Amino acid sequence: MRLACCLWLLATAVAGAQERSFLACPIVRDTKTVPCFLAEYNGELYFLGIQQDITAAFHPPQLKHQVLVEGRVSEGPRVCGGIPLQPLSVSVIKEVDPACNTLLPAEPGIDAPPATRGAGPASRRLTEPPASESLSGRQEFTILFAFDDDYVEYASIAKVRKAAAYATKIGASAVNLMGYRATTLLSNGDRLVEKPGLAEKRTQAIATLLRGSGVPGVTADWKKEPEPGDGKTDPSRRRVTITVMP
Amino acid sequence: MQKALLLFAIPFIAAAQYQNNRVTWIEPGGTETLPAFDQFDDFLGKLGVIQASGPVDTKGHPFFTPLGTNGRACVNCHQPAYGMSVSAEGLRERWRTTGGKDPVFAAFDGSNCPDLPQDQEKSHSLLLNRGLFRIPLQWPPRNADGSPKPVEFSIEVVRDPTGCNVSSVYGLKSAHPTVSVFRRPRPAANLKYVVSGAQNIVLKTGMLADRDPEAGKPVSMNLMSDAREPSLATQAMDAILGHEEARETPSGKKLKTIVDFESHVYAAQVEHVFAGPLVDPEGPFGLGPEALRDRRAGVLGDNDFDPVFGLFDSWKGKDYYRASIARGANIFMFRQFWLRDAAHINSIGLGNPLKRTCATCHNAQMTGQDLSAGWVDVGTTNYPTWTEPGTWADSADLPVFKITCQKTVDPHPYLGRVIYTTDPGRALISGRCVDVGSIVMQQLRGLAARPPYFANGSAKNLREVVDFYDRRFDMKLSEAEKDDLVNFLGVL
Repeated sequence: MRLACCLWLLATAVAGAQERSFLACPIVRDTKTVPCFLAEYNGELYFLGIQQDITAAFHPPQLKHQVLVEGRVSEGPRVCGGIPLQPLSVSVIKEVDPACNTLLPAEPGIDAPPATRGAGPASRRLTEPPASESLSGRQEFTILFAFDDDYVEYASIAKVRKAAAYATKIGASAVNLMGYRATTLLSNGDRLVEKPGLAEKRTQAIATLLRGSGVPGVTADWKKEPEPGDGKTDPSRRRVTITVMP
Repeated sequence: MQKALLLFAIPFIAAAQYQNNRVTWIEPGGTETLPAFDQFDDFLGKLGVIQASGPVDTKGHPFFTPLGTNGRACVNCHQPAYGMSVSAEGLRERWRTTGGKDPVFAAFDGSNCPDLPQDQEKSHSLLLNRGLFRIPLQWPPRNADGSPKPVEFSIEVVRDPTGCNVSSVYGLKSAHPTVSVFRRPRPAANLKYVVSGAQNIVLKTGMLADRDPEAGKPVSMNLMSDAREPSLATQAMDAILGHEEARETPSGKKLKTIVDFESHVYAAQVEHVFAGPLVDPEGPFGLGPEALRDRRAGVLGDNDFDPVFGLFDSWKGKDYYRASIARGANIFMFRQFWLRDAAHINSIGLGNPLKRTCATCHNAQMTGQDLSAGWVDVGTTNYPTWTEPGTWADSADLPVFKITCQKTVDPHPYLGRVIYTTDPGRALISGRCVDVGSIVMQQLRGLAARPPYFANGSAKNLREVVDFYDRRFDMKLSEAEKDDLVNFLGVL
């Protein structure tokens, strides 16, 4: 029993050692193709992602702003000189920080991973997204947000549209929203708490989109107090859930 | 040698077009019939204008007939000879011809402020020098039901050479608080492209698009420089009640006639003074008004297989100017540079900076607008990148406003919470701090017929447009590349 407990603690400690949650200025590294986005923490460089387009899952951070990086150290070689993090969430801190202004030139031997879209115009036609799975019964759709943000990103818009289409298709008896704001536990032990009122703003934003998409019976509720942070799964708690009832 | 010839030739051609009286100015209440196709001299060649529904009898037509109290009609500011807009040179010519009596110089918005002495040229300086009409916008903005919109910032007048924003009658602190900004009239042509691309949710904001109150459908929000009017009909209504100072709302029949007319006008350059006729079966598909009439709207052109204005490869031959135009098209589509600090481009998930090309933003096929609702703070109106020569306290012509964002709202993504601007743009309608200085992109067609450029008329010619972008985004364009881009833009 004591051994099992020790092993669990050890496993937890090792897992925790792989988590990274920190604020930093992003670093942009040019390459011969698309730029890489990196961030430095405790003397180590982390690879965040590459420039793609708005449909990509990764939305790069921004110079002139700090970025909140929440990720897990990934296996595999360095990318663009940085340790890859996966899964990863990046949030642009809203206040302007002119000190965040590092743009590194391209260097021989440092290449970006292959991009679905280069830095010029697109070179292939947009393909129709694969047909979504057939849904039935009660369904829950989770809309995630960046830290301290109520902006509904491209991927989230697609999810809202999917929820609206499903609710319309089945003639939903109710569509219930629940919104949250959350806490992020940084790797240095500090806690970042999203601003008061954000859960309501997020929920109302989604409710407006659903109602504007012709979905009747939308109810909206939100939790005023922030969700706790654990330094591992914090991005998943910055959310609005849409529950579609048959 | 040929380049030098072009530089010397432009003033001669510009002068000639007025000496031979080729340019026609359609006066309101006239009886002309507009032919199905007409062409007009401009400073780089000829502009072609198509009436796709056939010849148009202007007699009694509400687009050409004054519907208000100041003698103006739509045509005053949307002249076929000027690409369905109007040029500053054309306005100056009109001032000389009429002694300033043309209704286009109406006190309400054809002067720097209605309370100025209207018989003096200097009272109309923004219109005469930069082609700018006064756009008075009530402050704070209102919802459709008349209730005030929530606003995220305060606005102060730092200085105003026009005097209008500090006027006791027309200003920000008057009984009817009003912000006056000064903007170019957009072309009333090629509009099927301008109103296309509507989506229920605007990708740039993650918010619902405005809806056409009549049809109930989402609209493109690309129609006006601040997207304040959702449809051609509501824009016409707003213009008749505002620019024409009508006391009664026009009938639905008149509005429909105006919208029908506007929806069938196509304007584009048809001839370049040195490159010759531009419509070429072997050349790019996008040139000339017939192509605008015939092609499908709402197509994304930010790609290398079906690009914004077509492929110019067949022009890469021996003809000097066609080759230059083709190189300019290539720069527009393929020349990479760092797009930085442009709100509603870099800030919508694309990253800052973004290594891309002109066509990333000017992506709508045939017009070069943005297919998504296209307001962007490219930097023309906000200090320090604005087009004006002075500091925030010393803009030469335009009013300067100080915007202070509330502490609880999202600041402007690159300028923070205190912004100096000559035109808050979309923010005057949305009330949002992130929109300060954002202006809806306009179409790139018929440019040679309607200088000056940018919504604030700051670029006297196409070279100044190119110079602005080169400076703003540190594009490091060579002189030859700038010439090529200018030649390319001049044939659109």
